[in-house]
Amino acid sequence: MMKNAFSIARKEFTDTITSKRLWLIAGIFLLFSIASTYSTSFGFMIGGQQAVRPMVQIASTIASTMAYMAPLLGIALAFDAISGERERGTLRILLSRPIYREDVINGKIISALAVIGLTIAVSSLASVSVSILLHKVAVTLDDVARICIFIVFSIVLSFAYYAFSLFISTFSNKSSHSLIISMGVWIFFAFILSIISSFVTIAVLGSPPTRAIAVFNRTRRGFGNFTSPGVPASELEEYLSYMRKAAEISSIIQAFSINYHYTQITDSLFGFATGPLGFGQRERTIASIPTVLSTRLIDIIVLIVFPIVFLVASYMVFTKRQEK
Amino acid sequence: MSLAIETEKLVKIYGNGKSMVKALNSIDMKVPKASVFGLFGPNGSGKTTLISILVGLLLPTSGSARVLGFDAAKHSVEIRRRVGLLPEGFGFYDHMTALENLTFLATLDGIPSDQRRKRALEALETVGLKDRADAKVSTFSRGMRQRLGVAQALLKDPELLIFDEPTVGIDPEGAAEFRNLVRRMNREGKTILLSTHLLYEVGMICTHAAIIREGRLLVQGSVDELCHSVRKEKGFRYEIRVKPGSEIPLQEIRSMPSVVEITQSDNRVTILSKNDIGSSLFSLITKSPYKDLVESLTPVEPSWEEIYRFYQEGG
Repeated sequence: MMKNAFSIARKEFTDTITSKRLWLIAGIFLLFSIASTYSTSFGFMIGGQQAVRPMVQIASTIASTMAYMAPLLGIALAFDAISGERERGTLRILLSRPIYREDVINGKIISALAVIGLTIAVSSLASVSVSILLHKVAVTLDDVARICIFIVFSIVLSFAYYAFSLFISTFSNKSSHSLIISMGVWIFFAFILSIISSFVTIAVLGSPPTRAIAVFNRTRRGFGNFTSPGVPASELEEYLSYMRKAAEISSIIQAFSINYHYTQITDSLFGFATGPLGFGQRERTIASIPTVLSTRLIDIIVLIVFPIVFLVASYMVFTKRQEK
Repeated sequence: MSLAIETEKLVKIYGNGKSMVKALNSIDMKVPKASVFGLFGPNGSGKTTLISILVGLLLPTSGSARVLGFDAAKHSVEIRRRVGLLPEGFGFYDHMTALENLTFLATLDGIPSDQRRKRALEALETVGLKDRADAKVSTFSRGMRQRLGVAQALLKDPELLIFDEPTVGIDPEGAAEFRNLVRRMNREGKTILLSTHLLYEVGMICTHAAIIREGRLLVQGSVDELCHSVRKEKGFRYEIRVKPGSEIPLQEIRSMPSVVEITQSDNRVTILSKNDIGSSLFSLITKSPYKDLVESLTPVEPSWEEIYRFYQEGG
């Protein structure tokens, strides 16, 4: 049975790897990654700061680009995977062969896994390598391990979007519909949900006290520097308390977003605090890899379960659907 | 009679409640082996649904279908291993060449790797596309795509071929080539099921036929049987060709008891009779003075349009 799936996978892989769509996404990712790492490195230079772990900081910049590109890659591979075959009439020809419907979807999934894995691994490693050469930073074994883990979770994120988009594609008769729905979900998770969480935060907690914002601006001496001589401890505490509550509300709302769980993992991996200090505050110390994996276990589980759920749903819809 | 396809009380219902559509209504169809069976009916009559059930792409709501001895609902893969299908509204991978498309499909057909290319080229040669084997399908005209569709159905050298609307979009020359191909395959002992609403295109090559309307099979049988019923109802028609410049006496023919109409134009005499008077006419024209004046006597078969209309109208 798997022989036919592999035959379909082989054809799909060849088609995808030679497609303009894939090269465009990989090219944009490379361009953005390199540009953003360059800007990070340039920021260090003009800010006169010494990066604690330059490679980790560069990788974290690549990770923030990846948070946008990996879902797009998944969607690009899946939105017309089944609906496109249906539209072109090739599904009719495929299903007239002595194969099972499972072979078609298995072939698509195997090929997508290979393409996603290859694209993300190659483009991430290329971005890192170019950055190393450009900025002449030292790389430790721990850095390499973190980058490898980052690549694995980026593949899972991309595959999660692939699975979701595939699910839409299985019951859609038009690829354009499938693309619109998939992109809509991505935009919702990547942008709209964080806006909603801000609105909800303000609705629940009210606007941050003006005094607290002033305190925040005065105390913000670079990332994570909250030592604030001359500022009364009560005012600092007022600000921190507000931010803690805001972060809690935000994390509850954004827990629905797969992107959020991915960002939580990569932020922890590359040394961003995501707890009570609020958003984007870099910690001075970077947690060890086992600590990151254990503290982010829930995020990891969500990231893995999401694609599984949609793959199972795609299977059920596609194999049960009857095609004339 | 050995059967290639047999359906029994086949019912297919789409949707439920108010949106329920009964696409097939208790279809009992029998397709003899080595026949060219025409399944005729207007668009939306249930032809494609019936074919989809036969190859296991759809499940019947009730009833059963057996194809080459296999139950269509339970052993669809076995059926598709033995059946070449040209589905309606099919497509190919446009970015691939004709040969690449067929080689890929041959892989899925389970054809051994060392034979795929050979089989694909043979199929392309059969449909007259061998010289376009390395051309991308995106450059093909609609007629060429249709021929490529026939080629993909021939890949596994199937014992049963099912063509759904095979002549749609092809020019008259292409339709004639297709008819020749079907005749040739039928001579090789293959059973061919042709489903179409363009009966004038393929009706002439059918040995058996069925007419379907609104999910019901109105009639089925051999072409002779179908024609006979039409003739019995509408009359038997004969044509006598007379040598140029000659005329034949018509009194004796007119006096035959069942003759209802005689028309004469140029050197042709058309006779309409209530009963079969073929043998009487033959005896007549072998005698003087007819034998020196008549070139030929031929029974005029009812056209497929006549047959179709006759049964559509409840004949």
